[in-house]
Amino acid sequence: MKKSNILKMLMGALLVFLLAACNSEEGASGEKDKDDIEVVFIPKMTGNAFFESGNDGAQAMAEEVGFTVKYDGAPEGTVANQVQIINSAVSSGADAIAISSVTSDGLNQALQNAIDAGVEVVTWDSDVDPEYRTVYINQGTPEILGKMLVDMAAEQMDDPQAEQQVAWFYSSPTVPDQNAWVDYAETYIAEEFPSWEIVTKQFGEGDEQLSLQIGESIIDSYPDLDAVIAPDSTALPAMAQAAENKGLTAEDLIITGFASPNSMRQFIENGTIVNHGLWDVTDQGALAVYIAYYLAQGNELKVGDTVEVPNMGEVKVEPNSIQGYDYEAEDSGIIVLPERIVFTKENTNDYDF
Amino acid sequence: MLSKIPKWNLVLILVLVVEIIVFGLMNPRFWNITILLNSFNDFIGIAIIGFFVTLVVITGGIDISGGSIIGLTSVVTGILSQVVGLNIWLSIILAILAGGLCGLLNGVLIAYGGVQAMVITLGGMLLYSGIAIVLVGLSGVSTYEGISGFPMEFSQIAYGKVMGIPNSVILFLLMFAIAYILLHLTRYGRSIYLTGINQHAAEYSGINTKRIITSTYVLSGLSAGVAGVMLTSYLGSARADFGSEYLMPILTVVVLGGTLITGGKGGVFGTAIASIIVGFLQVGLQMGGVSTQYIGLATGLLLIISVAFLGISSDFKSNMKRLITPKKIVGGKG
Amino acid sequence: MSRLKWVTKQREFRTFLFLVILFVVVGLVNSDFLSVGNLHNSLKSSLLYIVLAVGMTFVLLTRNIDISVGGVLGLSAAVSGMILRDGGSMIVAIVVAILIGAVIGLINGLGVTRLRISSFIMTLGMLEITRVVQVIYTDGQWIENLPAGFKKISQMNILGINLLSILVIAAVILVHLYLTKSRKGRYFAAIGDNEDGAVLLGIPVKRYVTYSFVVSGVCSALAGLIFASQIGFISTTAGSGIEMTVIAAAVLGGVSLNGGVGTVVGATIGAVIMISINSALVFMKVPAFWNAAISGSLLIMIVVTDVLLARKSSKQAKKERLSARVLQEGVEVHAK
Repeated sequence: MKKSNILKMLMGALLVFLLAACNSEEGASGEKDKDDIEVVFIPKMTGNAFFESGNDGAQAMAEEVGFTVKYDGAPEGTVANQVQIINSAVSSGADAIAISSVTSDGLNQALQNAIDAGVEVVTWDSDVDPEYRTVYINQGTPEILGKMLVDMAAEQMDDPQAEQQVAWFYSSPTVPDQNAWVDYAETYIAEEFPSWEIVTKQFGEGDEQLSLQIGESIIDSYPDLDAVIAPDSTALPAMAQAAENKGLTAEDLIITGFASPNSMRQFIENGTIVNHGLWDVTDQGALAVYIAYYLAQGNELKVGDTVEVPNMGEVKVEPNSIQGYDYEAEDSGIIVLPERIVFTKENTNDYDF
Repeated sequence: MLSKIPKWNLVLILVLVVEIIVFGLMNPRFWNITILLNSFNDFIGIAIIGFFVTLVVITGGIDISGGSIIGLTSVVTGILSQVVGLNIWLSIILAILAGGLCGLLNGVLIAYGGVQAMVITLGGMLLYSGIAIVLVGLSGVSTYEGISGFPMEFSQIAYGKVMGIPNSVILFLLMFAIAYILLHLTRYGRSIYLTGINQHAAEYSGINTKRIITSTYVLSGLSAGVAGVMLTSYLGSARADFGSEYLMPILTVVVLGGTLITGGKGGVFGTAIASIIVGFLQVGLQMGGVSTQYIGLATGLLLIISVAFLGISSDFKSNMKRLITPKKIVGGKG
Repeated sequence: MSRLKWVTKQREFRTFLFLVILFVVVGLVNSDFLSVGNLHNSLKSSLLYIVLAVGMTFVLLTRNIDISVGGVLGLSAAVSGMILRDGGSMIVAIVVAILIGAVIGLINGLGVTRLRISSFIMTLGMLEITRVVQVIYTDGQWIENLPAGFKKISQMNILGINLLSILVIAAVILVHLYLTKSRKGRYFAAIGDNEDGAVLLGIPVKRYVTYSFVVSGVCSALAGLIFASQIGFISTTAGSGIEMTVIAAAVLGGVSLNGGVGTVVGATIGAVIMISINSALVFMKVPAFWNAAISGSLLIMIVVTDVLLARKSSKQAKKERLSARVLQEGVEVHAK
């Protein structure tokens, strides 16, 4: 009696499922209404100050212009998670995605599926293979950023041409962008400051406690260290905290790198560090979703075109070659953010992200 | 047939059906069967490792190293085929065997060394992902770009279809069948249960429990190897950090599937349904407009509520009695 | 002499020996590792793991497990961090954090004892839930710029020794005495050793299991405060993945996952080992991509060696016990 009831229930439910499955093939897409455009804004990972600030900019832009931005990322920034999120975005009927990729090639197939389904693809912060996206909102090429990192440290030295011991400290040996900057920075050091010695390269895995501990260990194991360069938003504040705990100031040990001004302000104000850099990630997020929205409306964007962006003025699409890519196509280009910012005591209070 | 399915599995099936209905109402595109079948690709790794971790858990052990074995096999596949230049299929087989080898190390240390499984596989987790990074570092490939350039037929493993059914679904069914047959239809499976219920008793009844335990870890390692190959094919490149986020999801599907974490009880069928539930939950909530970072709340609640529901319903009567009668005696103490 | 023998037979002594070996070996490579400054650092870095491991020990003793520690740590750190950042008083922040830990621990405990959910599932679910609650509560933002006064707490020294370290060590010793010497303290191990037996002895099993989760919750909250004070900013992923390290630390220190066996002193030493491995690798100046591989194999080597040593000594003990029993049985037979 009881069993047959359960059986009936199951059969009934299954029937509903099958009927529904047959029905749903049509009704997938209609004509796009301008206000209905949904852009999925994908960070490398959630819970990171950098990407949250990018999202703030994206949401503000969406509100102003009048489209929807869905912020969708997983707490662990892994390839499989991003692929899964892209797939779901495509399945759910999104019009465009703006993604900061955790990998240069792992998303190719998922993005191809998105393009095949008519979804516009824009990348920001960290690019994919240019074949699989229309525009990359670039904060600066590895050349620009690598040089910037080294120069921020060099300008604090009494004599940058003298022998200096320098340590790298960032998130992990497997992240693409930070490693690319560091690779370029090392060639730049070899050319410009040949007497520098890179004594170690350490990784904090994006974990605050581990980063702090590694930071303190770096200070202890390399007593003659002159500078630590930390192009990672967890490693830099942790390194500064480690120096503060040891009672070191910028006079004793130069610490610089990339992190948001909010996370570093107190270290600038109490003299633990002199400067650090970043680009305006709120602008970058806003620009990324606007361009995605612009494309999703059916507009085309070719290399050399310019777009008027609310609050930002005109931006120009540059060819892929500026990032050193071989792939050139009319509908694949790069928009470089106009400026990168070096934060110091003078200007850090002008920013809030 | 129905009488053979334990009550817990029925609950799971019910949850799955409810899930499909609710998510379809949230976004009708969820009812598109192609989307559902394709979504298997996104949780196949969790599912197939889950099948064999179920075996491990039934013996009373645990294996948390599966996620990093994925990264290791991915890197081994990539290095053997792209750097060393071996045939891709040979590389795949060797990579899966490497996964089995990791499992063997876990198993031997746990069964013959008598060390607690949680710690050994935690060490294994660090060790295997460490080896993956070291291999990449030593092979001269850049550690952060991933090894790509695999031949077309390799990407067919994940993207191919047989009679309209994605390969991932077929692999899911195949691995499920293997695990199901091993656990539920063979002497070997019975030995696994006996070992989990009482290792000493199993030993006295002539079962070589150490060998049984070791074998479950080997199977779990092999399945992680298969998952690693599948994921490499799916993502088109080999990276050391693949699978690192699978640790908790694998355990979630196993325990949600009704397998007792203390061993002795459980089954692969539950794990299979649970993995689909968790996989669809992710897709469905995302398609319903929920951000991925909030989905943990749903998974957590599902886990607690469903298990609590089972605890309450299974002996509802006795619980009721307990709730009514002793309260008068115990009074305020509760 | 027999006193010395007793000490060396203790499980904790072996763990301590591993710790010493680790420091000596690394010290041979780089003598700076043995400097007083670094020893002090290692202890400081381990503090939050020690506190977590102590809480975990309570739960493990009762033959349960608490996977949610990282989530509780993150949530309580975030909530109290927000209070502090917005100018709230330190005492309020600390009390709120402890309350959060206690409430979550209580929910875990009630779920395990009243709803009879396996502790693994209950706390795994709770881990997921607390993580998301933290994201919702903080709106995904980091808590930054904690007041300097609060950060100073973790850096204060008394007679050159870190104040927090002294407090934590003193607390560990007190808890150790409670768990081993007091009647009620021994309930925890008794429950894990044999639950049915404990019921027969009249131990309020459910209540003490619930207590153990509350203790673990409170310890996680305290660890969250230490985290906030030491690091100075709290991300939404603070403490993620920490649970496995803590469990490993406890096990390394001789706490059994099968309940009933282990001490907080052991767990403390285990935590120091787990954490010191990280800085040891920096001091040894090996390229950092070796780190995971080395710490993984070290961990495996330590536990395997330990089990082999333990087996040797337990075999001996068994032999002694067996011969004692044979003697006794012999007496009984004669008596008949």
